[in-house]
This record gives sequence, structure tokens and C-alpha cells, in this order.
Amino acid sequence: MLQCIFLLSDSGEVLLEKQLTGHRVDRSICAWFWEQSIAQGDSFKFLCRVADVLSDYLGGLNEDLIKDNFVIVYELLDEMIDNGFPLTTEPNILREMIAPPNIVSKVLSVVTGTSSNVSNTLPVATASCVPWRKMDPKNTSNEVYVDLVEEMDAIISRDGTLVKCEIYGEVQVNSHLSGLPDLTLSFANASILNDVRFHPCVRLRPWESQQILSFVPPDGQFKLMSYRVKKLKNIPIYVKPQLSSDSGICRISVLVGIKNDPRKPIDSITVEFQLPPCVLSANLTPNHGTVNILANKTCSWSIGRLPKDKAPSLSGTLVLAAGLERLPVFPTFQVGFRVMGTALSGLQIDKLDFKNLPSRPYKGFRGLTRAGEYQVRS
Amino acid sequence: MFTQFGATAESLSKASTMVFRIGTDAHLYDDPDDVNIAPLLDSKFDSEKCEALKRLLALIAQGFDVSNFFPQVVKNVASQSIEVKKLVYLYLLHYAEKRPNEALLSINYFQKDLGDTNPLVRAWALRTMAGIRLHVIAPLVLVAVSKCARDPSVYVRKCAANALPKVHDLRLEENTAAIEELVGFLLNDNSPGVIGAAAAAFASVCPTNLSLIGRNYRRLCETLPDVEEWGQIVLIGILLRYAIARHGLVKESIMLSSRDLENIASENGASDTYQKGNEDSNAYFGLKESNADLTNGVCKSEVVDIVSRSYLEGPDKYLSKHRCADVLSSELEGLHFTSAKDNEDIKILLLCTSPLLWSHNSAVVLAAAGVHWIMAPKEDIQKIVKPLLFLMRSSNSSKYVVLCNIQVFSKAVPSLFAPHFEDFFMSPSDSYQVKALKLEILSTIATESSISSIFQEFQDYVKDPDRKFAADTVAAIGLCAQQFPKVANTCLEGLLALASHATDGEAIVLLQAIYSIKAIIGKDPSSNEKVIVHLIRSLESIRVPAARGMIIWMVGEYSDIGNVIPKVLPVVLKYLARCFTVEEVETKLQILNACGKVLLHSKEEELWAYRKVLSYMLDLARCDLNYDIRDRARFIKELLSCYIGSSDTEEGKAQQESRDVSRVLAGRIFGGQIKAPSSEQFSARFYLPGSLSHVVLHAAPGYEPLPRPCSLNFEDPSINSNIVEGAKRPGDGATQSESYTDDPDSVSGSLNEESTSDYSYADSIGGSDGTGGSNVSSSLSEVDVHKEPLIHLSEVGYPNANPDGGSHVDNQYSGSNNLGELISTRSLESWLDENPNSGHNLSEPSSIRKSSARISIGHIHGRVEPKICALLDPANGNGLSVDYAFSSELSSLSPLLVCLQVSFKNCSTEPMMNLQLVEDNKRQDSSDHASAMTESSSHGDVPSLVPMEEIANLGPSETINIMLQVRFRHHLLPLKLVLWCNGKTYPVKLRPDIGYFVRPLPMDIGVFSAKEAQLPGMFEYTRRCIFTDHIGELKKGDKPGTNDQFLVICECLAVKVLSNANFFLVSVDMPVSANLDDASGLRLRFSGELLSNSVPCLVTLVLEGTCFEPLNILVKVNCEETVFGLNLLNRIVNLLAEPARG
Repeated sequence: MLQCIFLLSDSGEVLLEKQLTGHRVDRSICAWFWEQSIAQGDSFKFLCRVADVLSDYLGGLNEDLIKDNFVIVYELLDEMIDNGFPLTTEPNILREMIAPPNIVSKVLSVVTGTSSNVSNTLPVATASCVPWRKMDPKNTSNEVYVDLVEEMDAIISRDGTLVKCEIYGEVQVNSHLSGLPDLTLSFANASILNDVRFHPCVRLRPWESQQILSFVPPDGQFKLMSYRVKKLKNIPIYVKPQLSSDSGICRISVLVGIKNDPRKPIDSITVEFQLPPCVLSANLTPNHGTVNILANKTCSWSIGRLPKDKAPSLSGTLVLAAGLERLPVFPTFQVGFRVMGTALSGLQIDKLDFKNLPSRPYKGFRGLTRAGEYQVRS
Repeated sequence: MFTQFGATAESLSKASTMVFRIGTDAHLYDDPDDVNIAPLLDSKFDSEKCEALKRLLALIAQGFDVSNFFPQVVKNVASQSIEVKKLVYLYLLHYAEKRPNEALLSINYFQKDLGDTNPLVRAWALRTMAGIRLHVIAPLVLVAVSKCARDPSVYVRKCAANALPKVHDLRLEENTAAIEELVGFLLNDNSPGVIGAAAAAFASVCPTNLSLIGRNYRRLCETLPDVEEWGQIVLIGILLRYAIARHGLVKESIMLSSRDLENIASENGASDTYQKGNEDSNAYFGLKESNADLTNGVCKSEVVDIVSRSYLEGPDKYLSKHRCADVLSSELEGLHFTSAKDNEDIKILLLCTSPLLWSHNSAVVLAAAGVHWIMAPKEDIQKIVKPLLFLMRSSNSSKYVVLCNIQVFSKAVPSLFAPHFEDFFMSPSDSYQVKALKLEILSTIATESSISSIFQEFQDYVKDPDRKFAADTVAAIGLCAQQFPKVANTCLEGLLALASHATDGEAIVLLQAIYSIKAIIGKDPSSNEKVIVHLIRSLESIRVPAARGMIIWMVGEYSDIGNVIPKVLPVVLKYLARCFTVEEVETKLQILNACGKVLLHSKEEELWAYRKVLSYMLDLARCDLNYDIRDRARFIKELLSCYIGSSDTEEGKAQQESRDVSRVLAGRIFGGQIKAPSSEQFSARFYLPGSLSHVVLHAAPGYEPLPRPCSLNFEDPSINSNIVEGAKRPGDGATQSESYTDDPDSVSGSLNEESTSDYSYADSIGGSDGTGGSNVSSSLSEVDVHKEPLIHLSEVGYPNANPDGGSHVDNQYSGSNNLGELISTRSLESWLDENPNSGHNLSEPSSIRKSSARISIGHIHGRVEPKICALLDPANGNGLSVDYAFSSELSSLSPLLVCLQVSFKNCSTEPMMNLQLVEDNKRQDSSDHASAMTESSSHGDVPSLVPMEEIANLGPSETINIMLQVRFRHHLLPLKLVLWCNGKTYPVKLRPDIGYFVRPLPMDIGVFSAKEAQLPGMFEYTRRCIFTDHIGELKKGDKPGTNDQFLVICECLAVKVLSNANFFLVSVDMPVSANLDDASGLRLRFSGELLSNSVPCLVTLVLEGTCFEPLNILVKVNCEETVFGLNLLNRIVNLLAEPARG
């Protein structure tokens, strides 16, 4: 049970205070929290949700935005929590109860001086068995898009072997359908899924029996399902770091290239690594792309697309602290990339069926793979 | 899209940011008080009110106290604008507790809003009303909640459920039963949204009242997947507790795996060894591991045992018990176990929680996994593994929480997570805490097949830039190597390389490496001789004192092993002797110990050399600055004197003997096999999976261990019948006849304890009724000693909902069904209720009613004496004493006026002239009094004080009584008057008595109950108090004629009430009870109507307790005027509770 919520600014001053139960908490407690800068060790799942909703409403979460819209924040908090227990957290319902700020309402308030963002009526969805869906939304467009967005996690050990490679994926649906449609989505190869998690709209029984996703979608963009595919063998690109130290100087060279061609363009390739604290200075030159060394000794090499003619490489020297012959610790290289148009896990959507719809909507499918925690050790 | 927006905004100039913020509330936040807020609040435009309220909200947000605006803000509650309402509610909730009196003013508006057609308005009104947290309105809130609990709108019902903890939070004991009943009612709702909120209410209001769950268990299980996620978390916990309390643990589950029948004997033995301490636990541990499970492989039953007991008893209790008592084993053996295979309840719980493992809310997954962990058969537990592992791919904080739980699971059943070791490999984004947990789990779940891959990983981690983590990895390597001797050699090599390459900054890694090596060698020293020699060689380069100390310890410990070590020993000892003086304290101590050991194990030929080295070092140590070292030197010298000082060969027999003793002693001290302390912390605390306590490892506030298995009463028929109702179970047919709808009330309150006995009693009277009233009248004949018939029997037994009781329904009152229901506040719900089903429930209390006789007290009016208050004390008034008493007479001028009997008494010896009471603000002279009189009568409104005639002369010790008519404008605030006397003025205050703002409204009992039935729900207010006056009265009432105790009590009460309030005594009902001392059920009814608007006001007193004890009185007021009713209730309670005068 939450007792109170304080929203603090970047400098630690209280922007907003909302007491939730009768047991008041003094705002001086914030100072203590600020000094401790407590690592969020607990299941702040609900607070995360609150933050999500707030940033969804305000288009970000910072001091100015909260000040701009503090009334809305208050109203939202009041709707979301009652006596420390979550009341309404479904964004669709909240949106109907308290209108998000937008240009129109701002202009209106300037011109007429009156604008109310509090709805006069209770959203019908609160009573429905599908609370995530507005009752009878009207959409001019009749379309639904299904995206497979995947993140590839991989660990490549010092000797270049693939220790672990798995994909964490999400099925994101963007639906603009009228009425109360009933959708069925099936995969061609559902058996490769190691584990799944669903949006509350997914009916669990059909999945248990036939591995079919049957659901009444919320309106707009939402995450239908997330899944994991483990023990993959193919990684799209390789990164080969080599470090050799000699009398206080460490020579470094990093090679990047395609390993298993996904047959789709790979772009936004980046390689990032943390220079060990014992490195005094670094002199790094790439043959493609740009290298930035940030103040916190993070070295980031952005390559972009792989060039056709050459394999990108980064080479240079690191000067070690006095007294050190060799580099005692080795950095881990974080690789980023993006492959548009394919889901590298190999998951394939078989078909998407509709029930309860007057006309056949337009369907669209897309795949996208990004690097997740893709790390190469040196 | 938004982020791009933000980015452009940032890149634009500051001016444009200002433009951007136009139209938002930013200006209100930045300077909230640049305009005068107060007039805005009084504005007639909603937009201005809104702005004012927003400004106030901004001030609250910034931490200013703006409670001084409270009265003005409260006024706006009546606004029709939804937005104003919402903002006022926000303000109200923030300050209501600070300004209780003003907050009370808003109650009427809330009550009006509760009847609004817009469910949002109803819900907000309820939420705010409940959130105000004033004790005085708690009964009102409770009524409002119970009304809203039956609201057609799901949202309102949900808010009603959420309001229950708020009411409960006020800790008014008389409400507890009602709140719990409402929780039960809401749990019965058919909307999943409401059930979630009701579950939360249950958990905070009455988490132990599991019988409420029993009624709905099946249905709750089935709706679980549809409940919203936050409710799911709570509900899962409740269902688990219920299942354990009802059926006990599952015998196929992990929790009981260590308590298999064949194990019980060894278990008892084991717990005995446990008492001695932990030194044997390692060996014991190994033994128990052989208790292999067929499906899951090894399951560490020792840990499991502790875990399950910790879950059941709470670790603190368990650990303390473990220290002192020896009965713990047998205590749990006596419990009932159930089986997941044939118990439907457990099956359905597992079935309905398993889809939740796919929830997208981590907390739900964790809670569902917890249920399976505790309740599922061992072979099914596998299904929680993947969902738990999936949870790790969320935020860093939830990753930590999940790992904390996995850590315990994997400790108890390592095989569960063993195939998934790859999931615990570090990722660079992990925090140190997460990495440490992962390492621990990895070293727990490592198996023969996975150890090589795990080692590969460990080798990479050792080079991690985070050196603390690297050190932890080294420790983990040590642990694994001890577990798997196969890999010990490779480990040692790696560790040795690490130790020799470690630089100065790496003390922590080095130390851990040496420590791990030491631990590995300890397992099998003889085959690792080379490693020891290698370490000894590297002594020169290792400078960390603790690490050196450990190596030197090894020198001493393994000095007689193998071939190489004895050869290098003399050199090593000489080296140590040379650098002894420059060593740190801990190293010095180790050197001394090591030398002692070497000497002890040495053979004859080297003895002399070692003895020399040792005595050299002892000499050095004796002069050391540190007294620990000097002590140690002295101690070793004494202990090993037989070895050191054996220069003289002439020894006596006795000396020889003492030498032998010290030899044995030294052997024991230095040569004893010292067991390395167990790395497994058996005193580790285990809390329920998914709980906050488990993460912070101490009992967080509100943590409750699982209930005692099977602690829920089997015999409770209501529970059984409902289980049967859900699905018929073979072998439990005895209670099947009971129908579902009868149950809710028979389990709910304390009332049902009485119900059976009273019921039969009423029946027996009813039976005798037909044969004649003589039976009853004779039983009451001892009361009839009075000349006048004080008591007449008007009714024996009330109309009864039970058809069998129909024979004794008294025709006179058959229409007033609500007559006797005053005992239960719940009865009012019949009014609120549209639902015929629950209407049936309400007939239940009516069958509890006691049969009673009605007595009339006709003569007490003579004893009624109004309370006299002092208006002016003679000490302050120059000898003038003015008293007043409220009079029951009614004003002839206006219904708003209250009559007072004012008596002026001259206590002085001088006569007094021109006495008059006037209103404070009227500075009138006695001369223009007549004109004022005419003026005021011509006015439409009524003055506060009808001018009194001037008393021209008041002689010494003369008393004049005057009837004064006063209008109080407020129920509680005193009226300020000025007393003129001899030309001087005295300010006086006339305190209102709310009891005289009514006039008696004569009615008979039928009208009374009919009126009462029209004023239920929110127009009814109840409080309890203790009444003691009658005890004194009974004690002195030994005189004949008044020996009936009930009569005395009734008179006491009636006189007290009538002396303080202008009511009409409608009736006195007396219980006809077997026990003559039992006054419970005695009931007095009073009626009156408000002077101002003739609104009826009914007062009922119900007694509980025995005659000679203090009586517990339930005071109930029914009145349409909320605030008046509440104030009146408080007044009556206060006057009853205060002891009698004199």
C-alpha cells in the first residue's frame, strides 16, 4: 500500500505532493531519500506504471512538464490510486476520464479562458468485461498492423565463441477498428517460443490448447505479447576486438563485419565500450564512421550501414597509467544494430482472422530486429 | 513524436518555450498567489473558481499550508461543475483532518451527490467522504458504503470496496463487524473489477477472517484471471492462505518433501543434532541429499524444511523456537496434509493460477509462482521456472526482486534451475547486487555437465573492471571447485595464476583467490602439495597481510605432507623469522602458530633447528608492541615448553607426566582437525516468495506468515456447505442439504452465537402462548407487586420471518416488520436493498430478536428535573446569582424559540435594581426597550432573544424566576448576552442544549416504528456508550416495592434522558429472559420533532449487559437532519456516559 507520492525535480525539490492515506508522510522525508539516492530495489511496478501513464500524457516526464500540467497530474494520481491501492490504471479509461493536454485545449483556454479536462461522465468501459477497449470507438480508417519487434541478446566470449544468443520479442499491434472486433492471430512456428507473456486482452485457454492468440484489441498501439526464443545459433554481425599490451601502451583493434547475412540491410551499427579506469588517454581512428569518447570514458563508435567495399575497423592505442605494464582488465563491447524487415528469431505469423467486423480491414505485417544486450568480451 | 517535440522545444530559444507554455497551468504553478484567491473562490463563475482552486492546489504542491481557505472552499462542494467538484475534493482530502468542523458542513452535499444519477459523481462523493477521516461521520460513511456496494455501476461498487479500508482505518470497534460483512458482500460481486478491490479491502481489514473467503472460494478462483492485475496479486495471496488454513499443505509438494513418512524418524534425530549447533550440519547436509526425488532429481530437504517452516511460522518465531524448544518437529508432524490429486479446492487454485504465469505484470507472475511453489506437486513445479526467468528481462529493480526469489527456490531445489544456467550469465547492464545474486545462484545450480561452461564464464568475469565482482567470482569458483573435485585442478591453476599476477590494487581479488585455494586444498591436501609449494614461493611477492597470513597458516597446517614441503620448511621458517619484525599483527600471529605446528609435527632430526627458530621468534614476540602478540608468545612458550626447553635430561617422574599432558594438549590445540565453518547460512531467513520482507530480509510491516495448516474450523457448516455447493465431493454429504442463500449471515457476526438459543426460547414461549397467558404472567408475577399495573404484557415474541413462528405473531404489530431490528445496524439495508436475494438475508436478524414485554413508566415525570446551569456566578456578579434551566414548555411566539427558566437570586444584602438580559450587540437602554420590542415583532425574522421584562427591584435573598425565550442560531455555539444590573453590565454566555431543540412528539409504538422505517440508512446514526448510574440506584434501592432491577434501570435511563432533552417517552421494552440479571435487549424509545422545522427525530436506546454491571448502551438516532442528528447523538452519549450528579 502506498502512503504518499512525491514528485521531485532534478535538483531534489518537491514538485508535487499527494497524500494517499490517512497516515501523512512529511515531505521532509524526500530530503533523506534524495541524499541516499536509493537504488530502486523493490518492486516498484506500480510506480513504474504511474510514471508510464504520466509520461504518456505529458509527452515526457520532466520538471517543466509537471509544472505545466500539475492539475492534470493531480487529477490523474487521484484517479489512479485510492487509499494507496490502484484504482484505474487502464490508460484508455483514464484518457476518457481526464483528457490529456493538447494544442486544442491550450488554445481554447487562451481564447475563452475555460477548458475542462475532466470528463463529465464515467467511461463506459469501466463496467465492461473488456476494460481496455473504449466502447464502440469510431475509426475512419479500418486497419490493423502487426509488428514483430525483436531484441537480440548475445554473449560472445573472449575466444570468440557464442556463449548465449536469444531473442526477446514483442508482438506490437496497432489497431484502428470500429466496434468490438474479435481477432485471432496464429503463428506458423509457435513451437520455437520458449516463453510468453500476454496483454490482459488475450484469452488464455485457446493459447493453452492450440497456441492461438484470440483477443479483443484495445484501440491504438499496444503490446499484445512478448516472447523469448532461446538457443539461437546465428548472429548477424561479428565484432572482433583485439587488445595487446606492451610496456604501458595497449594496442587496440576492432573489426566489424557480417557473419550470417540476414538478407536485409543492417543499419545503425554502433560499438560501445567503457575504457578501463587505468587508461590515461586513448587515440582511436576508424576507417569508417565516427568515434566519440565521452567524459565518463565511454567510447562509442558509430558505423551506421556497413560499407560495401571494406570491413570497418577501429584501431589505435591506449596509454596506461604509470607503473602498469599491461592492461589488467578488459572492457566489454556493446554492439548495437538494427535489421529492418525481418524477425531474426524466425517467428512467422501464419494468419490474422477477424470476427465481428462489418468490412475486411487492411492488414499489415512488419518485422524489426534490434540488438538488445549484445555483448562481446575482449 | 512527443520526444521530437521536446527536442525541438529545447533547441528553440527561451522565448519560444514561454510561448509553448501559454495555455498550460504553468503560470498558476509558478506564481500561485499573484492574485487574491479568496474573492475568486466566491465568484459566481465556475472558471474563476477553477482558477482559484488550481492556485490553491499549486500552493499545496509546493508545500504551503492553505487550510485557512477551507470554509470558502467547502462552500463550493455544492457546485454543479464537475471540474470544480473534483478540485474541491482534492483540496478537501488534503485538509479535512485538520479542519474537522468545517468538513462536517460538506457532509450533506456528499449525501446529495450520493444520490446523483451520474455514477462518476456518486463515486467521487463516496471516495471523498470516506477519505475525510472523521470519527463522527464514520457511521454515515459506512451507510453510504453499504448503499454504494449495491450500486448498479461497477465503478461505484469498486470505490465502495476501496472505501472500506478507509473506514476501518478509523479504528471504531463497533463498525468492525459491519465492515467485514460488507467485505464479504463485495467479494460476492459478479464483476471482476469489484472483486479485486474487495480482495484488497479484505487483506487490509480482516486478513484472518478466512471464513469470508470460504463462502466464495470456488468462484473467486474462477474469476481470478479476469480480475485486474493489482487485484490479482492480493487475491492470489488470500486464496493461498485460505487453501492452507482449510486443507493444510499438499503432501506431494516441495514443502513436505522432507517430511515423508519414512523420514520422520531420521527427522527427529536430525533435529536433535540440530539443537547442538551447526557444526554437524555439513555432514548432515550431505546425508540428506541422498533423499533423491524421482522426478526432479536432488532436492535439498534440509533447506526445504527450514523454508517451509519459515513460511508457516515466520522466520523470527521459527528461529527463536529452534534455539530453545525441542518440540518443533513433533508439532508439525501432527498436522493434516492434503493431496493435490484428489482435493478439488487445491486443484482449482493451481489450475486458475497457472495462466497467470503468463501475465505481463511481474508481480502477478511472482505471486502465481509462489502459489505453485508452495502448493503444487513437485513434478509440476517445473512450470514456474520459465516465467520466472522471463521476468528477469525487465527493469533492473524487478530483476533484483525476481533473483532474490529464485535464489531461495534454487537453494531448495537446485535441479529446478540447473538446465537454465545460461540465463544467469551476467549482462553488462546488471547492477552489482544483481551480479552478486546471479553468481550465488550459478554456484548453487552448477552440475557436472554445466560446470565447464560456467567456468568459462567465470574466467571472463575475473577480468571484469568491477573488482569487487571479480573477487566474488573468485569466491564462487572456490565454492564450485569444492563441489566438483573433477574441476578442482583447473580451478587451482587458474587461481594460482591470478594470485601471482595480482597487482597491489587487487588486494580484494587476491585475498579471495588465496581463500578459495585454501578451501579447495582443504578438501584434499595431500594431492595438492605442488600448489602449496607454489604459494609458499610466491610469499615474497604477496604483500597483503591477510593473504600472507593464510599462506603461512597453510605452511603450518600441511607441514608434514608430501615430500617437498618438509624439505623447504627450514628455508621458509628462516625467511619468516627474518621478516617477522616487519609483518602486520595478523601475519605475526599466524607465523607464531605455524611455527608451533611445525615443531609439533617435526621429526627428531629437524627438531633442534626448528626449536631454535621458534625460540628466536618467541623472543622477538615477547618484546612486540602489540599485547596480543606478547600474549600469544607467552602462551605458545608455555604450551610447547616440553619441546623448547628439553635441554636438561634429568627429569622427575611428575615432570614427565605434566609434559605428557601438555603434549596432548598442544596436539589437541594445534593438530585438531578444524572444520571450515559452513558456508551455508542455516539461520538464513526465508520469507514468503514475492513479499517485500523477502527482498529486505526482515519482516516488513504487515508481513504475515502463512496461516497454520487446517486452522480453519472444519465443523463450520457454512463453509462446508459452500464447498459442496461448488462441486459435490464424495464423502462429505452430511451438509449438502443446507442451501447457499442461508449462509452469509450465519457465519458473519457474533450475533449468530445467540441465535440458536434465543430462537428455541422464542419457540417455546410461542408454544405455550396458545394454552394461555397465565403461564407468562405468573412468571412475571413477582414484578406485579405494585398497586398499579406498571408492566403490561403487550407482546410475547415478535413477528418472525420463519413460517413456523407464525403462530404467535401479534396482530397489532404485524405490519411493522422492522420493529425489532434495531439490534442490528445492518437491518437498514432492507431499505437500500433492491436485491431480493440479499433481502432474504436480512430476515435473518429478525429471527434473532428476543421476545420481550413492554412496560410503561407512568410516574417518572415527577422525577424529571431539568439540569440547572449557572449563567452568572455570585462571585462575579456582586452577589447576583443567575441560573438557568431549559424548560420543556414551548414558545408561543415562534417555533424557533427555546424556552428557558431563568432564576435571578440576590445573594447580597443590598437590593438590586434594573435587572435585564439583552443581546450582546444591542446597546439598548432600558428606556427604549418598548420601541425595540415593537420593532422586533414587526420584523419578519426572529431575534436571538425575545426581550425580557426588566426586573425593577430584587431585594436581598429574594429570587425571581422568569421564562426566557431564546433562539440559538447554532447547535453548539453559545449565545452571548449582556446582563444589566444596577447600571453595570456583565457579559454572560448561554450555552445551548441540543436536547431542547426538539419538542416532544407523542406517538405510539406503531407510528414510531413506521417512522423509523422511513428514516434508515444515512439518516440513522449509532454510537455506543457505557452507563453506570443504575448501579448506585440499585444498591440503594433495597426498599420494598422497587425491587425489580429492570424497572430501576429503565427509570434511571428515562429520567436521565428526559431531564436533559425534551423528548416523549414512547415505550420501554423489556426482555423476557431466562436470566433475571440479564438486561440485554432492554429498549427505550423516545420521540420528538425539531423545533425549527418539525422534522421528526427518534431516539432508541438498546441495553446490553447484566444489571449490576456497567451497561453497554447502543444509542441510535433517526433524523433527516444529518448534522443535528449527529450532534444530538453525541449529546445523548455524553450525558449517558457521565456519572449521575450527587
